[in-house]
Amino acid sequence: MTLLAVLGLTALFAPLLSPYDPEETVADPFQPPGRAHLLGTNDVGQDILSELIHGSRISLTVGFLAAAMAVGIGTAVGVASGFLGGWVEMVLMRAVDLVLVVPFLPLMILLAAYLGPSFWNVVIVIGILVWARPARVIRAQVLSVRRLEYVDAALALGARPTRVMLRHVLPAVLPLSLAQFILAASGSILIEAALSFLGLGDPTAKSWGSVLYYAQARSAFLSGAWVWWVLPPGLLITATTLGFALIGHSLEGLLNPRMRPGGGAS
Amino acid sequence: MWRFFAAKGAQYLLVILLTVVLNFALPRMMPGSPLLFLAGEEVGFLSPEQRHQLRALHGLDEPQWRQFLAYASNLARGRLGYSFQRGRPISQMIGERLPYTLLLAGTALVLATLLGVILGAAAAWRRGSGLDLGSLGLAMLLESVPSFWLGMILIGVFASGLGWFPIFGAGTPGISPAGWPLIVDRARHLALPLATLTIATTPGVYLIMRYSMLAVLGEQYIATARAKGAPELAVLRRHAVRNALLPVATVFMLNLGFVASGATIVETVFSYPGIGRLLYEAVLSRDYPVIQGTFLMITACVIGANIVSDLLYPLIDPRVREG
Repeated sequence: MTLLAVLGLTALFAPLLSPYDPEETVADPFQPPGRAHLLGTNDVGQDILSELIHGSRISLTVGFLAAAMAVGIGTAVGVASGFLGGWVEMVLMRAVDLVLVVPFLPLMILLAAYLGPSFWNVVIVIGILVWARPARVIRAQVLSVRRLEYVDAALALGARPTRVMLRHVLPAVLPLSLAQFILAASGSILIEAALSFLGLGDPTAKSWGSVLYYAQARSAFLSGAWVWWVLPPGLLITATTLGFALIGHSLEGLLNPRMRPGGGAS
Repeated sequence: MWRFFAAKGAQYLLVILLTVVLNFALPRMMPGSPLLFLAGEEVGFLSPEQRHQLRALHGLDEPQWRQFLAYASNLARGRLGYSFQRGRPISQMIGERLPYTLLLAGTALVLATLLGVILGAAAAWRRGSGLDLGSLGLAMLLESVPSFWLGMILIGVFASGLGWFPIFGAGTPGISPAGWPLIVDRARHLALPLATLTIATTPGVYLIMRYSMLAVLGEQYIATARAKGAPELAVLRRHAVRNALLPVATVFMLNLGFVASGATIVETVFSYPGIGRLLYEAVLSRDYPVIQGTFLMITACVIGANIVSDLLYPLIDPRVREG
């Protein structure tokens, strides 16, 4: 929690905090960490600490936007299929199964290759591939909310089903959507890192993944620079993902004690 | 049982069909001439006549549905088209790479499932013990580690640092074509990618197995088995693990797509010459037909593996056999 707050603030105030401009060559290349450059420098003499501080902006923004998109679709699909049932449910749930079967990273590579690398394309590609799990979880919750008396009461009073769905069912699952949002953010940050690592991220922006992409492309291993070039961004990604995942899981557990950790099986 | 297979079969057919449609539609939907994606970037330098010829060759002037039928019938006959970087048939390029991916991903999947099931069962059996809490924490942590980064760290420590394993590739060029040295050399190249992919896949299996075991251990029949005096180990093996395996089987199938994704990125990190690496190389060189071919192939592999595990599923769940 604290860690994530620190990261969020870092991303917010990145230009104030980072000691150097991450795009500028400020020192000799491949400098080990020292007083002037706390995490050393990369192959073209950019300050790695500044790169990472600025990178947190892109990594977190992409993660949040993609997660918002995924959970938006997921909630809509989950509520619609859970509440309306019938053929709507069948079609939507088959679609969920389809998305879950397809190998997502190759599909993302395919889409990213055609759409071209840019900030919004990365967000959209992640968003349209991560919604399936939230949709499943939320549908399960809607199914149990539907059986509650107040939904029946509203329907019996003659409220239109769409109105009941939006006014009574949707608010009941929103807290769960929040938990799913945090979990999706955790996943999206990992995926963004993978896409950037493959060189399919936004080429004009620095993110944690793209720092690793350059480290790999410039054979950081042969120079021994990997200790300060490869370790820190990976640790940041891990810590952020883990932080979000832990919060997400505990929220989920709080809201629905019967929820299975890890989901999937249904 | 037949209904189960029919429903599954229809779903897989739909996935393959959608993949084919996506492959067909993407180059045609993009802004600019589809020729750019079908024939390469030199298109810009061609004369109008050559352009026209190319359009005719790819049938771009025919109605969309005829183009699609032609495309699909070519696929059905195993013709994936030609790489425009190397001018080689894509099916041949994939054929060369596929064994490496199957070896890497298949071994990792088996190892990760075994490890995950055993550790998950052991952790749940000793719930709250040091083993349980330690492995749970480790699994949560490993779930959050990017697999490519894990691979980079393993290279840094074991390959370039300690020099125990080679840094990249699947074999040393020029090594004797048969016998032990070849096998040892291949195994040494496989070790780090395999370790990375296994470590990345195990936590998912472990978490499901542990949870599923905990649920099963709370059931009445476990208490019954104990009450009738069955030895603890028999309760664990015959009653608990067997039933806890069911959700794991479901997750196993979802994992197939995950392993295919993981293999793609792990192969890239280690320059391991599987189809995932081929996909990446194709992206770098903007070789669109190869991107499509490999994507289709990876999807087909995942579907194939799904079918195999569907066929095996009745072995562990008798209810499907009877139903």
